Amino acid sequence: MMKTLLVIGVVCLTALSGTILMAQSQAKPAAAASIEKGRLGFVTVGCAQCHGREAQGSPTTGPRLGPNGLPYAAFARYVRAPRLQMPPYTEKVLSDVDLADLYAFVQSRPKAATPPALQ
Amino acid sequence: MRKAAAVSAAMAAPTAAAAQSTTPAASTQVPEPSAETEPLTGGRAGSDFMVDTIKALGFEYICANPGSSFRGLHESVINYGGNEKPELLTCMHEESAVAMAHGYFKIEGKPLAVMAHGTVGLQHASMALYNAWCDRVPVYLVLGNTLDATLRAPGVEWVHSVQDAAAMVRDYTKWDDTPISLPHFAESAVRAYKIAMTPPYGPVLIVADSELQEHPLGDHHGALRVPQLTMAAPPQADSSAVAEAAKLLVAAESPLLIADRLARTPAGLARLIELAELLQAAVISTQPNSLPPIAAGRMNFPNRHPLNQTLRSVAAIADADLIVGLEIANFYGATHIFRDQLERTSRPATKSGVKLITVTAGDLSVKANYQDFQRYVEADIAMAADGEATLPALIEAVRRLITPDRRRAFDARGAKLADSSRATLERARSDAAYAWDASPISTARFAAEVWQQIRGEDWSLVNGNLSGWPQRLWNFDKHHQYIGVSGGSGIGYGMPASIGAALANRKYGRLSVNIQNDGDMMYAPGVLWTAAHHKIPILTVVHNNRSYHEETMHLQRMGNRRNRGVDRAHIGNEIDNPAIDYAKLAQAMGWYAEGPISDPNNLGPSLGRAIAAVKRGQPALVDVITQPR
Repeated sequence: MMKTLLVIGVVCLTALSGTILMAQSQAKPAAAASIEKGRLGFVTVGCAQCHGREAQGSPTTGPRLGPNGLPYAAFARYVRAPRLQMPPYTEKVLSDVDLADLYAFVQSRPKAATPPALQ
Repeated sequence: MRKAAAVSAAMAAPTAAAAQSTTPAASTQVPEPSAETEPLTGGRAGSDFMVDTIKALGFEYICANPGSSFRGLHESVINYGGNEKPELLTCMHEESAVAMAHGYFKIEGKPLAVMAHGTVGLQHASMALYNAWCDRVPVYLVLGNTLDATLRAPGVEWVHSVQDAAAMVRDYTKWDDTPISLPHFAESAVRAYKIAMTPPYGPVLIVADSELQEHPLGDHHGALRVPQLTMAAPPQADSSAVAEAAKLLVAAESPLLIADRLARTPAGLARLIELAELLQAAVISTQPNSLPPIAAGRMNFPNRHPLNQTLRSVAAIADADLIVGLEIANFYGATHIFRDQLERTSRPATKSGVKLITVTAGDLSVKANYQDFQRYVEADIAMAADGEATLPALIEAVRRLITPDRRRAFDARGAKLADSSRATLERARSDAAYAWDASPISTARFAAEVWQQIRGEDWSLVNGNLSGWPQRLWNFDKHHQYIGVSGGSGIGYGMPASIGAALANRKYGRLSVNIQNDGDMMYAPGVLWTAAHHKIPILTVVHNNRSYHEETMHLQRMGNRRNRGVDRAHIGNEIDNPAIDYAKLAQAMGWYAEGPISDPNNLGPSLGRAIAAVKRGQPALVDVITQPR
């Protein structure tokens, strides 16, 4: 496992860093969800092991999560009680606040342009 | 002949009085050998005839880590046999020797011989033998042993001797014998080859007793002969079962062909294409839905063929009203979704009423102890037969039943499948673009960079899955371009098997590509030296995520299931602190090597330089720091 956070070249997060505001409701994350905390949490709580450090997904372990992933309510429901192989993340191991940060991070992933090597 | 025989003779017929006595009789003292009367040289020996037998079987190479129990055979291979066909390859671990034979076979279609001690050597070799057994690959193992206790040298030779050498691996080998004469050796050696090469293929062992190896041939040589080898035709399915299967295939609305270890030879690939195109049927070449997902055992079907639905296997399986499993190791796993949560459950991945047909030679070779036979399949038709050998009859039976109406329906079905396949491949390319510039390097970028470097070559992927990206981004359409996986999932297969495959590819001038997991590489890295010493060209690109990553995910599952979290899941699983410098490791053993590469923009040029070294005949390695998956 890579324990050191390395510079992620593809994502320019300058404009997105800090917090993002979201409406308050049970179906939505906490208001002050942090992309940067989510980025860190994505590695420390193990999401990156299956979904990659940029939430880009891997064909054999876990799908791409963002951008344009699940709505927050469905995302949270799956993390708490996954239907398939993913380990369950209860509130004891992942708080609602941390979960909201994770969601903010995956939602902030930029859409990728297909590079020439893939065309 | 060994002097201990004199001791044996002296002790063989004690007098009645001596037998009742507890004091050794003075007459049992053995005199010092006489230089005048004791023969010290003997000319040709039994192991020379063993080499005659091995040569008659057509082995190109024989791998070994040297050992005293087969010293006679070793000497005969290099001197009497001229070290040609077979040429002795020096290995640094018996597991490497067997795994090299494993990889070699999957390219060449012929087994490679291995010599080993019957005790400690076989113990080292046993893991690789289990992989070969599970992967239905023939490996031909000749074991040294000293069966006659009165001839053993005191000390290590006793420790290295055994009553029944093959016993410890008999659960996962196809056949073995311990010949007690040279004619017996020849007959059993030929029989072993025939058994190993009759589907289902499997490893075999012959114990070459050391006395048999080392005893001079004397006047007996002329009387010895190697029996004729007659290969058995592979088992085909019963004709009525084939006819019934053909009827179901032609009548089905959504037939699906799933192939795993089907294409033993390039003919298997061609026949599956023929059957699929005849029916315009969907094809999956993998073991879908298994946990963890495992790539197909052989190159069964082109990945860009419009009927290939492997990348949308879940939908294809759910849509099928008839599924034909062709040499699938895990058919139950292919047709069920298993859920590894606190309560382990599985449910059908298929729709109600689906009909299942199996064709596998695996049904002809099931043993009880090791559980590689997987869960029982409730099939509608089960054919205990070799898939590749059965396809011609099935194709002809299907052809006879097709009417113009069915042909029109097939064509419409094929067009829909082609659309789905095209869309899935396009989506895979677009998915690969995410995290394109990330460091550590994404597995998709890794696969794409390798593809850019090899796409103009006659390449052969001899190991590595890389999270399935090569099957998404590369163009596989030749049998030698993919050789499957280890079979037993015994770690340590990748590096030696890929070098064995590269050995076979060498004479065809192919570029062998090994995508090598870091954890797997460290089991027996001495095989790097073997590749350099014997000038086996191969490009190895290390998928270095610095962990036993599969186990990291298992630990996450356990930690979260117990509400303890995952933050310590790296303990016992990471391969870091210090990070291993694989380039230096390879350089120390004579390889061209670069790395670690963590900037994706440096990967392409590094691969280019490494491939240039490979083209000069050198093994080359590039160490790539990657995302976990």
